[in-house]
Amino acid sequence: MGNVVAQAIGDRSTTPDYKAEPTFDPLYGFSSGRKERVMVATPEEMESAKLPLKDRDYCAHKAIAYQACRQKVWPFVYQCAHEKHDYLNCQYDDYILRMKEHERERRLLERAKRKAAKAAREEEE
Amino acid sequence: MSAITRSLLKLRPLGGFQGLAGTQSARSAGNWNKDWKPGKYPVTPEERAAAARKYGLRPDEYEPYPDDGLGFGDYPKLPVVSAEARDPYRDWDHPEHRRDFGEPIHASADMYGLDRIDDTQKPRFSLNDQALSFFGVMAAFFAAYFYLNDNKMHWPVLPKQYPEEGKTHYTFEPAE
Repeated sequence: MGNVVAQAIGDRSTTPDYKAEPTFDPLYGFSSGRKERVMVATPEEMESAKLPLKDRDYCAHKAIAYQACRQKVWPFVYQCAHEKHDYLNCQYDDYILRMKEHERERRLLERAKRKAAKAAREEEE
Repeated sequence: MSAITRSLLKLRPLGGFQGLAGTQSARSAGNWNKDWKPGKYPVTPEERAAAARKYGLRPDEYEPYPDDGLGFGDYPKLPVVSAEARDPYRDWDHPEHRRDFGEPIHASADMYGLDRIDDTQKPRFSLNDQALSFFGVMAAFFAAYFYLNDNKMHWPVLPKQYPEEGKTHYTFEPAE
């Protein structure tokens, strides 16, 4: 798997660039396609809520709901526990998705390498 | 004013004000800045012997600074021994200066005090060793940095996805 130690001592050529987006076709290998991610909050809403740029991701609508709740019940913010839980769960799922994308990229890189090696072997024969 | 005059007159049998000042001068060998100044550069052997006696040295260890315009008159040229280099466990008369009473003081003694430089003691590690240790450690760190610069550890995640105009992100669920 793509754990930290494997990156450090393992094969560097099949370790994805953690600063770049996936390089392969996102729909490759999905026979029934993939559901698109839906952005619920509009740019106007995010601007109006003065949401920091780093929070304007696919969980933005939950971040806005959480902050709105906090503002409403301040200082009894414990009443927003459900909104907070909802928002943090969304962020957790987002992180899992990023991990899956990393693993998919790594496996596709390995597959490409395998195929290239096989092609080189066949050319020799 | 008259009271002061009278008290001074009463001291007359003891030598008066002059007498008091005289006892003071005998104790501290000087009253004023100019009294502490070294004398003229000694030329004749007699003058040298007198100067040596004045500074509490034997005539054979007495050697004044050269009279080249930057010297110190008849002040003796003493070997430099920093206070830091002296035995800290000896029973010095002035332990805070590591100095004995009546010991001649170096002309630049204020530079070789306990809180100042120590250039007479042999350092525990030579300058070469110190330089080698410093540059060796720094070189090792830089070597590790440059060797590992393109081999950085990271959590196995790709960058966060932000919605953008004309860009589509996908979940891992089938689209049906």
